[in-house]
Amino acid sequence: MKIPLSWLKEYVDFEDTVAGLADKLTFSGVEVEGIERLGGGVPGVVVAEVLAIEKHPNADKLTLCKVNFGGPAEMTVVCGAPNVAVGGKYPFAPLGTTLPAGFTIEKRKVRGVFSEGMLCAEDELGISKNHDGLMVLDAKWAPGTALSEVLGPPETVVEVEITPNRPDCLSLLGIAREVAALYGTQVKVPDATLRESHPAVEKATSVVVEDLVDCPRYTARVLQGVQVGPSPDWMKRRLEAAGIRAINNVVDITNYVMLECGQPLHAFDQKLLAEGRIVVRHPKPGEKILTLDGVERALEPQMLVIADAVKPMAVAGVMGGEHSGINETTTDVLLESANFRPASVRATSKKLGMLSDASYRFMRGVDAELAEFGSRRAAKLMCELAGAKLLMGVVDVRSEPKKPWKVVCRPARLEALLGIAAAPAEIAQVFAALELKVLKCGPDAIEVEVPTFREDLTREADLIEEYARIYGLKKLPPVRSMATIVPDADDKPAQAQARLRDVLVGLGLQQIMHYSFLAEGLLDLFDQGNAPSRVKLANPLTADHTVMRDALLPQMAETIGLNFSRQVAETAFFETGRVFRLGPDGKPTETDHVAVGLFGPAGRTGLDKFKPVEELEMFLWIKGLWEQASAALNLRGAALRPADRPWSEPGRGMEIVVDGAVAGWLGLLKAEIAKEWRLHEPVGLLEAEAKPLVKDVEATQPLVPPPSYPSIRRDAALIVGTDVRHERVVDVARAAAPAELEKIELFDVYQGKNLGEGRKSMAYAFTYRSKTGTLTDEVANGFQAKVNAALKAQLPAEIRES
Amino acid sequence: MDIQEVDGLTAQALAELAGAADLAALEALRVKYIGRNGMLPALMQGLKDVPAADKPAMGQALNRFKTGVTAAVAERKAALEAAAKVAKAGAFDLSLPGRWARRGRLHPIQQLIDKTSAIFRRMGFTVADGPDVETEYYNFDALNTPADHVSRDVQDTFYLPGGLLLRTQTSAVQARYMESRQPPVRIVCPGRCYRRDTTDATHSANFHQIEGLYVDEKVSLADLKSDIDHFAGELMGPGVKSRFRTHFFPFTEPSVEVDFSCHMCGGKGCRVCKQSGWIEIMGAGMVDPNVFKLAGYDPEIVTGYAFGMGIERLAMILFGIDDIRRLYENDARYLAQF
Ligand SMILES: [Zn+2]
Repeated sequence: MKIPLSWLKEYVDFEDTVAGLADKLTFSGVEVEGIERLGGGVPGVVVAEVLAIEKHPNADKLTLCKVNFGGPAEMTVVCGAPNVAVGGKYPFAPLGTTLPAGFTIEKRKVRGVFSEGMLCAEDELGISKNHDGLMVLDAKWAPGTALSEVLGPPETVVEVEITPNRPDCLSLLGIAREVAALYGTQVKVPDATLRESHPAVEKATSVVVEDLVDCPRYTARVLQGVQVGPSPDWMKRRLEAAGIRAINNVVDITNYVMLECGQPLHAFDQKLLAEGRIVVRHPKPGEKILTLDGVERALEPQMLVIADAVKPMAVAGVMGGEHSGINETTTDVLLESANFRPASVRATSKKLGMLSDASYRFMRGVDAELAEFGSRRAAKLMCELAGAKLLMGVVDVRSEPKKPWKVVCRPARLEALLGIAAAPAEIAQVFAALELKVLKCGPDAIEVEVPTFREDLTREADLIEEYARIYGLKKLPPVRSMATIVPDADDKPAQAQARLRDVLVGLGLQQIMHYSFLAEGLLDLFDQGNAPSRVKLANPLTADHTVMRDALLPQMAETIGLNFSRQVAETAFFETGRVFRLGPDGKPTETDHVAVGLFGPAGRTGLDKFKPVEELEMFLWIKGLWEQASAALNLRGAALRPADRPWSEPGRGMEIVVDGAVAGWLGLLKAEIAKEWRLHEPVGLLEAEAKPLVKDVEATQPLVPPPSYPSIRRDAALIVGTDVRHERVVDVARAAAPAELEKIELFDVYQGKNLGEGRKSMAYAFTYRSKTGTLTDEVANGFQAKVNAALKAQLPAEIRES
Repeated sequence: MDIQEVDGLTAQALAELAGAADLAALEALRVKYIGRNGMLPALMQGLKDVPAADKPAMGQALNRFKTGVTAAVAERKAALEAAAKVAKAGAFDLSLPGRWARRGRLHPIQQLIDKTSAIFRRMGFTVADGPDVETEYYNFDALNTPADHVSRDVQDTFYLPGGLLLRTQTSAVQARYMESRQPPVRIVCPGRCYRRDTTDATHSANFHQIEGLYVDEKVSLADLKSDIDHFAGELMGPGVKSRFRTHFFPFTEPSVEVDFSCHMCGGKGCRVCKQSGWIEIMGAGMVDPNVFKLAGYDPEIVTGYAFGMGIERLAMILFGIDDIRRLYENDARYLAQF
């Protein structure tokens, strides 16, 4: 809301700078969002008319303008503005004028031609930042008129944001009340005494309210002999400074009074109302209305309309209708000052997509007691400014009036909540300044009566806030911060999740984050089978955010693709996040997941980055990453089992099993999916539930001391068929070896023409160690011979020992 | 040969050794003086002919010769070898790129969640968690936001079938947490929130907040102020302070908006704080009595404060991020800078 300060000062006195006022308002809850300065002009700057324009002899973009600025002689001015035209009127700074930027206009040569003054753009006058061209002035201004006369008196406009709990501040009087409380002054309520004439208003009109819940109050006054015309300049200036366009005196007065006191008003041309009367009712089926903005709108039964004897004339509290508006021929005005239920106005306003200054106020709540004051004030102005004759009395249809209520504030409670020890009298003084009537003021309790316009003050805590904001939050006493140990608080789950992320970072992965919702097509690409259990947004905003993710991998793959398209050829990402699925009961469930994605030579170090990545290589990286991560998380009872997923390349997927239950999957992304993002090299992916992975992070295990005796190593290269798997070699060797076999390590796999088709070489190191003494070479050779014999016979294999 | 001659020979040998140009020349000198067929064995041989009275002195002179030459050979050898390494250093390329496995990083949003959580943990807060999918009750009703209240419009909400919704604020955790236990409560809850906002440079429909709640006997607004001041200093740097402005939230009364003094300019005004010297960081206030009543706490016995702040906003301020969308774009080259 915009507040012209000269207008505000009509209702309240205060001695402060604009910045000081803005600061006080902001801290007490009326946030100042901007300060704008209007009018005033620049001393010396006057209106000039351009009489003739010639080209500048030495510059294409400049012109020579002959101007009349009301002085003794015409002046020649060099001008660079694109919008200068013969006959145009512009602000002119004669020689000797000092502009706001600080420089003084002197007679000087511009490209060889003397310029005798300057035609100005808005930025040069400090009015705005606009430098698109000269500021164009109305043709009515005579050359020589001071710019300050054209722009009007200087005005400062403070723009404030009013929080939803303070609808009483949506007016100048409301703000004036705040200012008065902050500065310890009084509000000056404008005069609303009326001079009424016969006959009584009841002779001219009547009001029927069919729903007193949605319309708790409707008042009507009738004015006759109204002369519709322009409003006086002072009123136009104030409305425009407050951001409202001036239309005609009658409409302007309704707006002016709304801004002044917060009561929305509406003026009907009474002669355009069938039978000249008002019926407040719900629309009948099929009824429509042409609103003031020129749009025909279908009405619905739960909406509320202001109708005449026949049809709707306005949407209650939202907007007037085209057919009963004030026009140049209007002579009789029916002035509506009413009150409507906030929720009803909000629903109607939302449904029709219409917001107005009136609906904005009604939606937040207007004090029903304000209707009469607003009506009187507007009627008075119409008599004064539009020559109207006011009929005697008012038609006032209303439900039971709301009475002021009492609230108690205990100083002890105030101290407990704020940490401020305040004397009861001091507290009572703040309440009184806010126009709360102090009924009792004792050491234990202060009782106040709250006026009806402060609907937000119903409880002790509300009063305590009033004290805090007026007393000044800046004055809160310093206290010593104390940490509190809460005995049964459980921080462990959060720490475990942090540990999981630390482990993945330690393994060299970059964490990424995606939105929790996405386009369903991406999920379908990975697993269409999940479709029935997906959680869909009921009111999505955009087509790419329609469904909650049921897995992290689709966005992971898409992001790897996005990075690849930007020439990032190597990625190693992880994400932790929630996935959402409908449970068996049809209700959404959410589970914390973790996902990993590898692409490019992510597992290689050093210079070895340019060789294409083989499928097996990538698979072993993602598998190795899992092994490292689960070891770092101290995870026990975990295993991998071959299993394909809808998104995994056949035969290249495994499931992660923890304590017998499937907790996740890893493998290579199916090539058909990967090609969506032109990823033609293998993509390694892993996704698992986070909770099972971190179940053992806090656990410890019995320690084994380092071995006492040295080990002996024996190597063997096995030539085997390509179908022989590593785990088979290990199984056979373990079965044949004695307990002294400590570990079996694969250190080379080779396939080459010299071995022959269908064969490969696998080189293993076998480490033997005894717990009771140092092994001799002979003993170790004996162990290895047994192992080799078993491998030869059972795999079968040829063996080259070393 | 007398003693003086031996000592003269020692001096000559040491001088020659010190001047040996390379390892070959050094080896030749070593052979000449102390080799198996060199001077030393010959001189030792001659010792037997020395008169008995002179023998001890001659023995010492010969010993000086032997140890002096041996040490000089070793010293010169070390010097020549070191010089040879230096000479070859040109071929050892110190400028080659270093080799080590990759380095991982946390996402900047995570970094800030961790950083803020760590500060609050030190102040005795526990990190708690709540669901993203909420009921109207916990997101609005339990937070004292009546069904027809205008603030339900302000926070445009994503709904799910069955009347559920995506939480619009982490405050939804408050009521859940309080329902499940008795005071004292001292928690922070970092988490995801959702608002039906059009995404642009400063708005994201999916974002993160961290919420704080402290409920006990005698918790006051003054406690909130000093705790937030402490947090401000730890997060933004020493000397950063907070200030409170009256505001409105349905679930707190009094409610305040909290600004931190600008960490970049120390409050003098700069681009980061838009010349004001202050940066809006969080909303806070004293827990509304209605929220306590709905959670089953007696507002006559306990009081409490609550606060909440946007993590993305903090990230933009602290890291100087110009566009919130970059945080969710996941360009590896951008993320690598945090
Ligand atoms: Zn600054």
